[in-house]
Amino acid sequence: MTKSIVVILKSSHIIGEPVESDIPHLIELLEKGVLKLTAKNNIKDALSKLFPAVGKIGIKPNCLAGRMMSSSPVLCQAIVKLLTDTGIDENNLIIWERSERELKLAGYKINRNGKGPKVLANDSPNVGYNNEFSSFRSVGSLLTRILTDMIDYHINFPILKDHSIAGLSGGLKNLYGAVHNPNKYHDTNCDPYAADIYSLPEIKNKNKLTIMDCFKIQYNAGPSYNRKFATDSNFILMSDDPVAIDAVALDILEDIRHKNGLPDLKKAERYPSYLETAADSNHKLGNFRRDLIDKVEIIV
Amino acid sequence: MGIGRRKFLIRCTECGVGITLASIISPSGFSSLSISSVRAAQLPRAKGLSSVEARHYKKLENKEIECGICPRKCKVSPLERGYCGTRENRDGVYHTLVYSRPCALNIDPIEKKPLFHFLPGTTAFSLATAGCNVNCKFCQNWDISQVRPEQVDNYLLKPSEIADLAYQYSTPTIAYTYSEPVIFYEYMYDCAVEGHKRGIRSVMISGGYIQSDPLKELLKVLDAVKIDLKAFTESFYRDYVHGELKPVLDAIKIIRKEGKWLELVYLVIPTLNDKIEDIKRMSAWILTELGPDVPIQFTRFHPMYLLKNLPPTPVSTLEKIHSTAKSMGLHYVYIGNVPGNKAENTYCPNCGKILIQRTGYSIGKINIIDSKCKFCGQEIPGIWR
Repeated sequence: MTKSIVVILKSSHIIGEPVESDIPHLIELLEKGVLKLTAKNNIKDALSKLFPAVGKIGIKPNCLAGRMMSSSPVLCQAIVKLLTDTGIDENNLIIWERSERELKLAGYKINRNGKGPKVLANDSPNVGYNNEFSSFRSVGSLLTRILTDMIDYHINFPILKDHSIAGLSGGLKNLYGAVHNPNKYHDTNCDPYAADIYSLPEIKNKNKLTIMDCFKIQYNAGPSYNRKFATDSNFILMSDDPVAIDAVALDILEDIRHKNGLPDLKKAERYPSYLETAADSNHKLGNFRRDLIDKVEIIV
Repeated sequence: MGIGRRKFLIRCTECGVGITLASIISPSGFSSLSISSVRAAQLPRAKGLSSVEARHYKKLENKEIECGICPRKCKVSPLERGYCGTRENRDGVYHTLVYSRPCALNIDPIEKKPLFHFLPGTTAFSLATAGCNVNCKFCQNWDISQVRPEQVDNYLLKPSEIADLAYQYSTPTIAYTYSEPVIFYEYMYDCAVEGHKRGIRSVMISGGYIQSDPLKELLKVLDAVKIDLKAFTESFYRDYVHGELKPVLDAIKIIRKEGKWLELVYLVIPTLNDKIEDIKRMSAWILTELGPDVPIQFTRFHPMYLLKNLPPTPVSTLEKIHSTAKSMGLHYVYIGNVPGNKAENTYCPNCGKILIQRTGYSIGKINIIDSKCKFCGQEIPGIWR
């Protein structure tokens, strides 16, 4: 079986929420990650490998928990700048979430029609959901039109959090924001639903990269912000394998929980078994076995 | 880009109130329903969702809550919602988002609910909010039941205003229906209280997936309940409903025990819940636990929502099931969604004569006087006036 690469991009000087003056440094981190992942020597070739044709690219942060525990708007700006600096048209970028309210509360500025990257949501005017049900095994949902009609490629941009039901809120779980009925898919620790949602062709085929913000981590009592169980950190995870990156994130989460005297997620009755499901022969979304994952650490 | 609008509300010409439909497409692409094109325009629209504290929940550690309305007992973290999508944890306090936010209003014949032994030939002021606590693959009203409340257009109508509207339309009953009333429990309860103040009764049309304590409390303000018994096997409830059978059976027993008028409906889906053995087991359970006088209607399935690969139920299947339930000793067994079928009528279990003739939602002569068969004097259970 082909091994997957998960790049751990460590900053030598950012700990916690990045600020605007960190953007050049963040771009450097991201660039090194993309080069490593694509095995290319320059960023233009690397991005061409991920996004081979001119098209629109969606970026999905996780903004459920508000300003204190959402995918960083500053890191998002760095992702946008990395893309546009290599010639991708800024007007072809769409940063999106379930609701405009969540985007605003997380610090994103809505831009429905103006110049530059669009920042909008499923509930923005003229967005909404597709007419046809998308189905895969246990899932039957209407998908956001952002995914079905408005973009060609996708970058998943979650933040690393504990989740009171799913165990892990990482990359796969972040795509719950793409369906009209996410509340229907939380039984049995989100297994198999998180794997089934990601398997919908519009998601599976369009998502090319996952960039996980780990500058802040909610290691317990998530997915909302809970100061008591939140910690600052100094890294980003990046992979083109949506399962492998979540597997690495899971190990990191378990490690932080252990260091803080908390039970592992199995004992806490919310082990994210949906990750194993995502790797099974019915889904084949990526690698969960650690011997099939190469963790590459880069420090800048 | 709006989704195709399925016209599931029927004309109400039988009611003599000249109701027409208006379909409203929301920005999100979902549509909602309205009472009449004339009146709907005058009714206030909600600009947001409600934020009324829910009833029947427990506060847990780390501001989590456990919902106590339905058997799912959803544990919900702050900013998250329960399975129904209509209840949200806000900083450790559980809120209903649909209080005073109906998305569907209509005046229907009571036979459409269907209730056959409850004020036949009258109308019900019928309402629903978005949301449901199960996810039936054959749902007829998925475009309001399987969405979140912000995905439809909602009216803004307090319980007292609902009761006033029902009064203005001279409907003797308010019906909580279309989606799943259990998920708008607080609103239903308060509407029923307001209705009673004006002499208007309340009926719940439900899947019966509700915990016993909230049910008992609710029954104090309801006058009748119709339960959709979707099958008589746990496997069907697990695979096609995303619920459980046992709590539904428990709820049915409680409704009967509390003395509320109860009717059952069973949607017969080819190959999935149409086994005669299951019908026999269910009929035996009804006889033992509820008695022979609880009406049950076997209705015809049409391909819908996530179950489009099956044909409509053959009428012959419905007739066989009808005969089976009758032969097991149930007194009031009906066939529904087959207009003109003779099993739409109510027959006296003693003399066999027609007591109420029905064709679809139209009612012929009613041969019940003072709750008795006009021909032989047999007591006929129901609420007749």
